[in-house]
Amino acid sequence: MRKILVVNLTRFGDLLQTSPTIVGLRENHPDAELVALVERNFADVARGLPAVDRVWELDLDRLGRMLIGETGDGLRAAYRLVDDTVKALRDERFDLALNYSSSKMSAVLLRLIGAPDTRGWTMSADGHRLIAHPWSRLFAASCLHRRQAPFNLVDYYKRVAGVAAGPERLFFEVPADARRWAADFLAGAGAPPGAPLVAFQLGASRPVRRWPAAHFVALARALHAAIGARFLLCGGGGDRPVANEIAAALGSLAIDACGRSSIAGLGALLERADVLVTGDTGPMHMAVAVGTPVVALFFGPALPFDTGPYAADHVCLHAEVACAPCDHNVTCLEPFCRDTLAPAAVAEAVLARRAGDWQALAAAAARWPAIAWYRTGFDAEGLADVSLLGARPPGRAEGLRRAYRALWKAVLEGTAPRPASAALPRDAAVLREVARLAAEGAGRALGVEALAADACDLEALEVAARRLEELDARLFRLGAMHEAAALLVQVFRFETENLEGEDVGALARATRVVHEELAARARLLAEMLEPAGAVRPALPQGGDHASVG
Amino acid sequence: MSHLSTHLEENLRALAARHPRLAAEIAAAAPLPSLPEPTPAGDPTLTADGVLLHSRHDPRREAARWAEAQRERLGERADATAVVLGLGLGYHLEALAAAWPGPIVVVESDRALWRTALAARDLRAVLARVTVAEEPLAEEAIDAWGVPVVLPHAPSVLRGQGLRALGESIAGRAALRGLRLRILVVSPLAGGSHPMAGHCARALTELGHAVRLLDLSPFARGMEAIPGFTPRRAARGAVEQAYMRFLGSGVLAAVEAEKPDLVLALAQAPLDAAVLAEIGRRGVLRAFWFVEDHRLLTYWQNVIGEYDYFFAIQQGAFLDEAAGRSAARVAYLPCAADPAVHRPLALTAAERAALGAPVAFLGAGYRNRRIAFRPLLDLGLKIWGTEWAGAGQVEAAVQRDGARISTEDSVRIFNATRVNLNLHSSTYVDGVDPRGDFVNPRTFELAAAGAFQLVDRRTLLPPLLRPDEEVATFTDAAELHDLVRHYLAHPEERAWLAATGRTRVLAEHTYRHRMQRLLETIAAGDHERLGARPREETAADAARREGDTPLGAVLRRLSPATPFTLDGVVQGLLHRTGDLSDPEAILLFLHQFDELYVREQRA
Repeated sequence: MRKILVVNLTRFGDLLQTSPTIVGLRENHPDAELVALVERNFADVARGLPAVDRVWELDLDRLGRMLIGETGDGLRAAYRLVDDTVKALRDERFDLALNYSSSKMSAVLLRLIGAPDTRGWTMSADGHRLIAHPWSRLFAASCLHRRQAPFNLVDYYKRVAGVAAGPERLFFEVPADARRWAADFLAGAGAPPGAPLVAFQLGASRPVRRWPAAHFVALARALHAAIGARFLLCGGGGDRPVANEIAAALGSLAIDACGRSSIAGLGALLERADVLVTGDTGPMHMAVAVGTPVVALFFGPALPFDTGPYAADHVCLHAEVACAPCDHNVTCLEPFCRDTLAPAAVAEAVLARRAGDWQALAAAAARWPAIAWYRTGFDAEGLADVSLLGARPPGRAEGLRRAYRALWKAVLEGTAPRPASAALPRDAAVLREVARLAAEGAGRALGVEALAADACDLEALEVAARRLEELDARLFRLGAMHEAAALLVQVFRFETENLEGEDVGALARATRVVHEELAARARLLAEMLEPAGAVRPALPQGGDHASVG
Repeated sequence: MSHLSTHLEENLRALAARHPRLAAEIAAAAPLPSLPEPTPAGDPTLTADGVLLHSRHDPRREAARWAEAQRERLGERADATAVVLGLGLGYHLEALAAAWPGPIVVVESDRALWRTALAARDLRAVLARVTVAEEPLAEEAIDAWGVPVVLPHAPSVLRGQGLRALGESIAGRAALRGLRLRILVVSPLAGGSHPMAGHCARALTELGHAVRLLDLSPFARGMEAIPGFTPRRAARGAVEQAYMRFLGSGVLAAVEAEKPDLVLALAQAPLDAAVLAEIGRRGVLRAFWFVEDHRLLTYWQNVIGEYDYFFAIQQGAFLDEAAGRSAARVAYLPCAADPAVHRPLALTAAERAALGAPVAFLGAGYRNRRIAFRPLLDLGLKIWGTEWAGAGQVEAAVQRDGARISTEDSVRIFNATRVNLNLHSSTYVDGVDPRGDFVNPRTFELAAAGAFQLVDRRTLLPPLLRPDEEVATFTDAAELHDLVRHYLAHPEERAWLAATGRTRVLAEHTYRHRMQRLLETIAAGDHERLGARPREETAADAARREGDTPLGAVLRRLSPATPFTLDGVVQGLLHRTGDLSDPEAILLFLHQFDELYVREQRA
């Protein structure tokens, strides 16, 4: 392996989340050159990632300026810019290209670069979405069924890159000049040298995802009363109105850094903080990368399971309301979950975490049952995990999630499966039905295979193919009806969609294999949800003939 | 006198080299009554029809100044052709030829002037340098001129109307060529003219323009429901007006979204004077095709003042009246057919049985039709269409309970019927309106469908379709019974008339022809505005510039009129099969990038 390209064209938080993969790649391929392809605005962040040998900058602002006028000349210029860039990237002759930007645009770009081994978000030759790597498929499926989200995004990144173990943290090397700037800034702001410094990340991608300013103010007052803390207000230029509001309320207690630092400068500031209180944001990952403890607030569409802090011993507070997680694209008119994360609870979390007192955290968790309190960590296989604090029995959703986690580890990594902590017999029954149907599907696919080999009776072949389609339709319906089967069937769906090739016989064989695998997985998952020997209830009547709502 | 004759013969010889027919006509023509006058400089000048064609003091100097000014107008364009309106005595042509190296065409139809001029001066050098535009001006001739720049010789133009109009037509066609206009076509809510909007839109698209059809038929139901509010006429009228204003606001929103160059409204489109004024304020050209009888539907009077172009299917006094009421340019534009829709169809036996008849009529049950068709009841008459309730005896012939017949079914019915009746409607004449002028769309639609019809004589019919050569006609409803029986008995006559009619309609009376006429009229009137408009680059343009590059190859595979924008270019790519080439992938990348990052930044 000579040269590896890692592509991440999204936001800087995503870039930081790619850092353990890059470090892991370096460990796996010590002699390879590692090149990061990033958006120009985030080139500095990329340079701060260890093990990156070279940063390739894509000037998307410049490209945008060419296109904004919608002129023929602009389009021509943009075409030439992309053409030249692609040529130069091709000349690099990367052996492996990993695309971690989840956009069709990046998939097209990777296709153009044409590295022989391209993984992540990819595209087939005729322009259709292709999710080839099993971990990529699982990730894509998990995005659609987030309640069963088994793994952290960072672990998908690593697995897709073939980095199995690898570092259990994020990385960012704060440059010296940024540190100097931060020191000057804090001194200039009049922060008393010994006082505890708690950082607040104010902004979020959308207003509804912001923890309310009033809560930050209440939190600050409680923390100041308890430990005399000062508060570092962090955010982008767009968060200035919120910063102004909080700064006005807190007066000299607040150090307003909102919109005033570069990304590296933010890293340097966070290094100096005791704790960062944040939603699910880019700065959260920066704090993790520079080793500052995080109390992360998860509400709305955010879940600690897939986007939680990727390092051990951070605290996640999840508003476990009935409608969580909501869809990223909806506009909630009553975001009460933000209030479920009460300032008093967050204050307890900050104080206990700052003191490193996990028992206190567990005790606090017991006092705030509407919130699920988690401690981040890693399991025996090196995959990020969160453990519930406060000795709560896990509910059905958690039970399913853990079972799926165990299933995928078994399927994708050969880990020995363990039974779930809670028995879920009804869900097990659904999965056994899935297994039965999938086995039948395998049989039908075998029939298609046989007819294809014969090549004589085209009509019979068509009939057989249609029968297989009908069976698959029943499987999809089961997945739509039952939460327990949803993720499994979704992965199956991606697998069937991504079967390539013209040869009917080969396709049929591949289809059979996919069905057999589904059957095996469904059986395994059922086992985990209800070990053999237990009394089995029948599948609820109406089964898969009931219409989906 | 002998001095003059020598010039004439030599000039005519020189002219005959390239324009023999014109030379012959000039030789046979009488000269102008006025004689050339000498000037102090020695060169003659001439007064014709009270207009002094060249300076009495120094025609050459005057001509040189004129030529300088024209040279500025011609600019540095490599492909320009100077189209000079008016021959005069040729001084200005000589001066222009000396000042400018490019091609020069002279337009002058007055043979008498030619004769006088060719007799008065030695114009051999000019005749060798300049091309004479032969009339009638053919499409190909104008197109061969590259970019025509029309340069009027003012005194010549002042002499008569013809040159000015000709100049405008040439300028209009030049402005139109290669131009891709953005056109918003606004339909009426319902009624016979509603499908016309679609036909117009289609034709305009075929002519290479970017067309958006605003189909307002979803709002017809609303209009129909208004009587439910109140039985009182006046109150109802007020609600209907408010409804029309509401629709007008919708049209205005569409105009703001589309930013068209031209709004084309079809009769009864809900555009009142206020909305039209608003549209005009936005710099959009407004054209109206009034396809109604102006005596019956008088609303045109309320709106014509706010249109820039008004097209009607009637002529004569009406057009004069219309021109008097408005600054709009007014022109005659008869109806047409859409050969993609109105065409011969092969029908199944079942369709023939269901839809066919020896004689039939398709249309609304106006008074004169109810009466005129009565005698035909014993010939197997079928009637299709709405508003036949209470029609008396003929109601028995009405099909499908008087339901509205779709365009598709109409064409099938035309094809399945042996003798199609086409009686123009009248609300006050029982039978054929002796002064009926305009020709209805059905006449062209039947002909285009290759269907045989019997149509009543209209004053405007003969120039469009030759009666009894290209279409069978009748002048009196009393003739109908005999005529129908005759044609039922002579299928070969039916076939012949239908065939010749179809040929004529396809050659001259399609919506494409009408829309081309419409656009030329507009372009002639607004050629400066349209000519100055930056041309939208098409895939063909871009492909030419690219030449033999991979991008050029991709662009050449697209329809030539495809706009060279990301949306335009990628549309074609999104639906194809097979592997993407690199240029295609790059365009797809740019399209995705544009959608993700740039779109939201545009105003």
